[in-house]
Amino acid sequence: MALPSRPWFGENLFGLAVVAAGFLAIAYPLSAHRVTDFMIFCIFALSFDLLYGYMGRLSFGHLLYLGTGAYAAGLFIRYIDRDPFLACLVGILAAALLGLLLGLIIVRTTGACFALINLAFNSIGFFLVLSPLRGVTNGEDGISVRAAKAWFFNPANKIHMYFLVLACLLAVLYLLKKMTTSPGGILVRSIKENEERARFLGYNTYLFKWLTFTNAAALAGLAGALHALNYKYVNPNVMDANANVGVVFACLIGGAGKLYGALLGGLVYMIISNFLPIYIQRWEMFLGIILLIIVFRFDKGIWGYVETGWAYLKQRCGNREGLEETTEP
Amino acid sequence: MIYTILYGFTIGAILYFISVGLSLTFGTMRVINFAHTLTYTLGVYFLITTLAWFKGYFIVAALVSIMAVIPISYVIERFVIRRLYGESLDYTFIATFAITLIGVDLIKWIWGVSPYPLSEPVATQLTLGSFTFPIYRIIIFGIAILLFLGLELLFSRTVMGKIIIAALEDEEGVRCLGVKVSKYFALVFILGSLLAAMGGVLYAPISSVQPYMGLSVLLLAFAVVIVGGMGNLRGTFFSAFGLGMVMAITARYWSQGAEAMVFIVMAIVLIFKPIDA
Repeated sequence: MALPSRPWFGENLFGLAVVAAGFLAIAYPLSAHRVTDFMIFCIFALSFDLLYGYMGRLSFGHLLYLGTGAYAAGLFIRYIDRDPFLACLVGILAAALLGLLLGLIIVRTTGACFALINLAFNSIGFFLVLSPLRGVTNGEDGISVRAAKAWFFNPANKIHMYFLVLACLLAVLYLLKKMTTSPGGILVRSIKENEERARFLGYNTYLFKWLTFTNAAALAGLAGALHALNYKYVNPNVMDANANVGVVFACLIGGAGKLYGALLGGLVYMIISNFLPIYIQRWEMFLGIILLIIVFRFDKGIWGYVETGWAYLKQRCGNREGLEETTEP
Repeated sequence: MIYTILYGFTIGAILYFISVGLSLTFGTMRVINFAHTLTYTLGVYFLITTLAWFKGYFIVAALVSIMAVIPISYVIERFVIRRLYGESLDYTFIATFAITLIGVDLIKWIWGVSPYPLSEPVATQLTLGSFTFPIYRIIIFGIAILLFLGLELLFSRTVMGKIIIAALEDEEGVRCLGVKVSKYFALVFILGSLLAAMGGVLYAPISSVQPYMGLSVLLLAFAVVIVGGMGNLRGTFFSAFGLGMVMAITARYWSQGAEAMVFIVMAIVLIFKPIDA
């Protein structure tokens, strides 16, 4: 495994600027409200990528943390205080706390066990919200979320919401970039490659897996809180266990283990799932077939091809070292 | 209380049918077969069609629909699972999940989304003193016991069973002896799918039939396999009945919490016995 070089500050800034410009550019033709939704999903895809792409643990229940964030923010606004920023913070903390608790158990497993245990917890969460906590969460009907104005920020205004989510997305991207290139982040990658060796070197891999899991949960919680603010209501569908396939699909199609890959995958997935059902009625079958193709033929994802293409271009333009620099496994 | 125990045995038997296949495929091929839900659901939908053909001869219809799953599971094994041997568990998991998505969509296409009602094929009740039991549930329990004994015999007395047990322990060693392991793996896969379909067919009359019925059952079966130990057939048997009983007893006091309770038991087991899979 080639170690990722520590990104130079300007490189990060350039990446962020490109992402911001990209989202601003598509906001115009697709409407700001829709693109806000896309960006929230991208934050969620990034948090999933931290777990799957970087730590190598496939979760089939990551929506539990998104749902927790959404419900925590929604309930906070409904019963305690209507400040949107505080609600976001509560959403993040609630999801992180849940991740911290469940992570203690979940992180002990690997592979398909990990995937299915997450799925099991997700279905428990869905069930809890749906019926035993009906008194608070209003069951199937969900709760409406009416956040108040905070300073100049008005959550009811779609453009304000759009810029809040964009700022969150950029912050998450920057944070993850820092996190995954830090020594701890590299250790997490080495856990993906070979956990036994990492442990043999004297690292407490359990602790790092647990922390990464909690981080991923917290970021998913942020996505959930933003979701609640954006849609102005929360219902149990936000943590429907069956919907987890979407984010797995997004990560795979974009290229797991690359932050920009997850971002691109999330965007592509949202565009497909927003516009394709208009043309193709058998939408689930289509998704299944594409997933099979990805697993068999296309495991680098779109971003992998972008990188290879970029390296090839660089090589053609005379920079002979370009290929070694930009392709990493 | 005696009804609760009987209900526990019925659920346990159904869970056993479904989880045996999962446990076998995991133990031999190191594949978590999500498509198990698909064969389970397909068995039930075939039953609906064949029941209409055979005008209510439940046994004939059930046998035909269970057999109809064979070619489908063969196709899944041959064209998807076999290509993924030795790949990471994640990929097999995603691939089998994709198959399930495709299959469930096909089911929705052919049979529609709305649930089907099915009535119990043996409606008579058995009266013992002051209690009456539906005979159908006792039959299910009997079949589970027979299946357990049959599998024990299969794995201890026949060459095929011994090869599979040996492959559970050490696949490479068996291959070194010149045994074509992949053929036996295909057999195991088909056997597991058959059992899942059988579980579906037997359970359908006392539950509801809808395209997504497989998912929750798969999660339960997975909990059974974790509690019993991956690839451990006797462990699967006992944990199936144990968890069936947990479900029945929880359902008696808090009907909605039955499934959640199973996962709580699973979590407790995992705390004390982490699994590398």
